Amino acid sequence: MEKRISPPRTLLRGVPMAVWMLLLVLVPLGYTFVTSFFQVEGLQIAAKVTLKNYALFFTDPMYSGILAKSMLLSLAIAVLGVLAGYPLAYLVSFRVRRGRQALFMLSIIPLWVSYLVRIIAWRTILGNKGVINSALVASGLIHEPLTFLLYNRFAIAVTLTYICIPFVFIPVYTALEKIPRNILEASSDLGAGEMRTFVSIVLPLSLPGLVTGFIFAFIIALGDYIIPQQLGGTQGIMFGNLIWSQFGFAFNWPFGAALSFILLAITVTILGLTSRFGSTEGGFIGE
Amino acid sequence: MAEEYAIELHGVTKAWGDVVAVRAFDVQIRRGEFFSLLGPSGCGKTTTLRMIAGLEEPTEGRVLLEGRDVSRVPPYRRNVHTVFQDYALFPHMTVRKNIWFPLKMRGVSLADARERITRVLRLVSMEGYERRLPQQLSGGQRQRIALARSLVDEPAALLLDEPLGALDFKLRGAMQKVLKDIQRNVGITFVYVTHDQTEALTMSDRIAVMKGGIVHQIGAPDEIYSRPATAFVASFIGEMNFLRGRLLPDAQGAPGAQVGAHALRAARSTVPADAVQTDVLVCIRTERVQVNSHRRTEHEMEGAVRRIVYRGTDYEVTCSVEDQELRAAVSAVDWDPSLAIGSRVRLCFNGSDVTLFPRAEEEEIVQYTTEAV
Repeated sequence: MEKRISPPRTLLRGVPMAVWMLLLVLVPLGYTFVTSFFQVEGLQIAAKVTLKNYALFFTDPMYSGILAKSMLLSLAIAVLGVLAGYPLAYLVSFRVRRGRQALFMLSIIPLWVSYLVRIIAWRTILGNKGVINSALVASGLIHEPLTFLLYNRFAIAVTLTYICIPFVFIPVYTALEKIPRNILEASSDLGAGEMRTFVSIVLPLSLPGLVTGFIFAFIIALGDYIIPQQLGGTQGIMFGNLIWSQFGFAFNWPFGAALSFILLAITVTILGLTSRFGSTEGGFIGE
Repeated sequence: MAEEYAIELHGVTKAWGDVVAVRAFDVQIRRGEFFSLLGPSGCGKTTTLRMIAGLEEPTEGRVLLEGRDVSRVPPYRRNVHTVFQDYALFPHMTVRKNIWFPLKMRGVSLADARERITRVLRLVSMEGYERRLPQQLSGGQRQRIALARSLVDEPAALLLDEPLGALDFKLRGAMQKVLKDIQRNVGITFVYVTHDQTEALTMSDRIAVMKGGIVHQIGAPDEIYSRPATAFVASFIGEMNFLRGRLLPDAQGAPGAQVGAHALRAARSTVPADAVQTDVLVCIRTERVQVNSHRRTEHEMEGAVRRIVYRGTDYEVTCSVEDQELRAAVSAVDWDPSLAIGSRVRLCFNGSDVTLFPRAEEEEIVQYTTEAV
């Protein structure tokens, strides 16, 4: 009888998690959401409910233009990230026998290095006196340093792709590791060469991991504002910078909050549409 | 065109570094034959199968399929299919797509494929399951689909790696019959790996008994059972008594052995006849030993009952005889209920059921009884 009075253990175990979510996610998010309907008067945020922040976004083509450009660039980055991360995961999972652990660690070790340090590193690689230009000039292939390497969209794409590779690698690797090896033997046994086996068996079975990695990369790229700011130059403004500038320079928190919510809505929509195919566990489709 | 042999192994050896998994395997498997590889785990039977499939490359020797040397040919260019122990069905494909797979690899037309899939599903009694996914099927059903997938493009041989190992006892018995019927209907060569002697005995045309990478005997089931080539084969298949004795041929030089006070005649012996007085193993099947027989037999040994185990169709009576152990399988129909532990009994058998092996083979014997021989 006493047992019935105390709440079930599973419920108790969920309490810290719920508190955490409430304090660190839902409260700030709710605050931002409310703010997005306020307006600025002078240097004060006035609690007068208005839709003009959202109206501004939808009426001024500059904002939607930047959003479209950002999404396009993020899409390219996600594609590049998958093109780089998938073969890497395939290599580590299927081809390498000795030193596999080491290769796995090497693939995810960038995550342990400060984000800013990695950005600065790319600046020294791509810059006028950077690694690439110095090498090319020293070898006599070019006389003047290449200028298209840094402070443009190319630099953003390269660096963000690099940042995204581990986030593609991990879900793809997990999905590949889950494929029973005797299924590959069965495929070979039933007449499929390596290419056919990859297309018919490995790719479909690792698709959830691939989709998850793709979404990770896309969302990371779409929300980033430091890399465009550091390496993007004048043409490199992305939607993330727009939000950041509303909070930082313009001191228009309500408009920044509205932009944030537009980005969040897009992200959640994409997640919702693709969650059917993706999986953080890299399980099989239909499972 | 029609080769007599579907599969030939010539001195096939597989080694990983110093570890030899299979040593100099020679065999010729006829078309349409049901050939089993039997042995305890780690005996090299699966490795042999994988070399035929092409999933392992032999270190030495040649593998021939229908007369063609395929030792270095990859699995996808060999006209044989493997049925894996855990079925290895493609989890993301329906039953139909799984079975379609080998046909697609061979470029079979869609119409033709549809007909073949229908036919092979009927063969394994799985019509109506085309749209199911593998995880929606039971173990026995998956087994049938794996079989159908391997049969659908009519390979020269089917390689089965303990295909019934994961099924429960009753289902295994049913699937054995299904497999045997299918093999007879289709007429395809089966190479069947198992560690289950009953399975091998009931299904096979011929059996290769292996241990430690070495083939001990290749022969028909009755040959393996009644005329084992080594003490290992004798112990691995059926219930066998092993008595220690000394070689003692009779006056005409026919094989025989001295066990304690008894001079026993033996029908067969692998011990050189001139090695008189060397240590030998004297083998008699438990079902060939009778307890207190009314009929006259060639040999009789006095003993005391040590243990009685009821096994449904029979009783296994373990007796101590001449400081050794002799077991007799007594049919439940003939059971004398007055027998109890400690009873004095006569153990009767004929020399025609006795085989002699060199004592050196004693360590090869597989014993699952609690006490050593």
